[in-house]
Amino acid sequence: MASSTTTSNVYVHVIEDVINKVREEFINNGGPGDGVLTELQGLWELKMMQAGAILGPIDRSATQKGVAGGPITPNPVHDLNVPYEGTEEYETPTADLLFPPTPLQTPMQTPLPGTAHTPLPGMAQTPLPGTAQTPLPGSDTSSMYNIPTGGTPITPNEFTSSYGNGSVPEMKGGPGRPSPYMQPPSSWLNQRPPLDVNVAYEEGREEGERGAPHQPTTQDFFTMPSGKRKREDFPPPYHAGGYIPQQDGAGDIQSDESKVVQQSFVQGRRLSSRIPQLDGPIPDPYDDPLSTPNIYNYQGVVNEDYNIVNTPMPNELQAATPAPVQNDIVDDDDDEPLNEDDDDELDDVDQGEDLNTTHLVLAQFDKVTRTKSRWKCTLKDGIMHINNKDILFNKATGEFDF
Amino acid sequence: MATFELYRRSTIGMCLTETLDEMVSSGVLSPELAIQVLVQFDKSMTEALESQVKSKVTIKGHLHTYRFCDNVWTFILQNAQFKNEECQETVGRVKIVACDSKLLTQ
Repeated sequence: MASSTTTSNVYVHVIEDVINKVREEFINNGGPGDGVLTELQGLWELKMMQAGAILGPIDRSATQKGVAGGPITPNPVHDLNVPYEGTEEYETPTADLLFPPTPLQTPMQTPLPGTAHTPLPGMAQTPLPGTAQTPLPGSDTSSMYNIPTGGTPITPNEFTSSYGNGSVPEMKGGPGRPSPYMQPPSSWLNQRPPLDVNVAYEEGREEGERGAPHQPTTQDFFTMPSGKRKREDFPPPYHAGGYIPQQDGAGDIQSDESKVVQQSFVQGRRLSSRIPQLDGPIPDPYDDPLSTPNIYNYQGVVNEDYNIVNTPMPNELQAATPAPVQNDIVDDDDDEPLNEDDDDELDDVDQGEDLNTTHLVLAQFDKVTRTKSRWKCTLKDGIMHINNKDILFNKATGEFDF
Repeated sequence: MATFELYRRSTIGMCLTETLDEMVSSGVLSPELAIQVLVQFDKSMTEALESQVKSKVTIKGHLHTYRFCDNVWTFILQNAQFKNEECQETVGRVKIVACDSKLLTQ
């Protein structure tokens, strides 16, 4: 008991000492004033009493003494109560202040998705433009490869049907696309002239058959849907050429006659010099990644990915970079939940550690020595918090076995 | 005068820190002034321990972990026994953090 009383007295003394020595700063130089200082003292002492570090009666007497020393005598008892309530009030407002920032952020986010693709519901759509295009090449290649395996053909058929019916957005959105990803491409189609695509599509067939090289860009895009049909029909030939997707577009018309397709394919190779350049962005990624990376990615990804890729195909040239983007997006989704979980676990661990270290000694060391596994140390001016009691010491000696 | 921020982790230091946090977040107190109060606490606490505390303590226990980093010794004791003139306390696990006293005299 004596030690606790001593501790309490020392604490009271420290509080008074701090308050008195800081008073000048509070009153002068445009400080908040003596009232705030009194509030500080009241709050501090209240917390100390709640923590059991200061004994109630002693604290009050000490406070009165402190006050007597200071300018304000009458307030001591009231100060404790008043400031306490005040603090709670202050706390809530601060919390409110904190909230505003989050709303600000949310509005920022929402506009982005809305602006990008208003028609489509999916958030992912905004990135789609870039991503969608890339998938096209990849999808083509994937579809090509997949077709031989057998499982994939179904998806291409669906695509072909949607495309064949007409680039009409409704068809795409409605029929067959389970995943939101599908929708984004439709949005693109909608935004971009869907009607034009249809027209171009027919024209593309004719042009592709007649002369693929003439207008590669337009032909490629328009032809893309038709290309799917061809792919189904003739997967193996495409494998040979990296530029297959483009050729397929031209070949769509040819699909009716395999010979024609082959011819166009040959032409495509001949013309390939032109085609690759136009497609330029698209072909580059294909060439290297086609054989391995695209295939693996698609396999790893669900069927939905195929759909996504197919839809972007109409979108056109931009394809080159997008493919990686899609992968990244998928990864991001996976990563976020994992990170959150990890943090929670870590927090829990930290809390556990804190609980374990509730017994704490804060001091200065004069000397620490060790002889084999026997440690000796001399400490001074320490504060110990042990078993919920605060004990102060001027000197301490420790003997530990390691 | 050099001071340690070490004692801010004590009960009295934590109570002061919480109070200052509340008053700063409520706008009553400026952060700069709050820091001045903390620095003054470092000085006052150190002086009080030197001038007003006379008790001696002996500590015994099993040293689970020791660490000396940046002139700070950290010991984690198991089954530690604290004794002073008036009382004796036993604790299953305790952490001792000690700064170099020579840094204050320099």
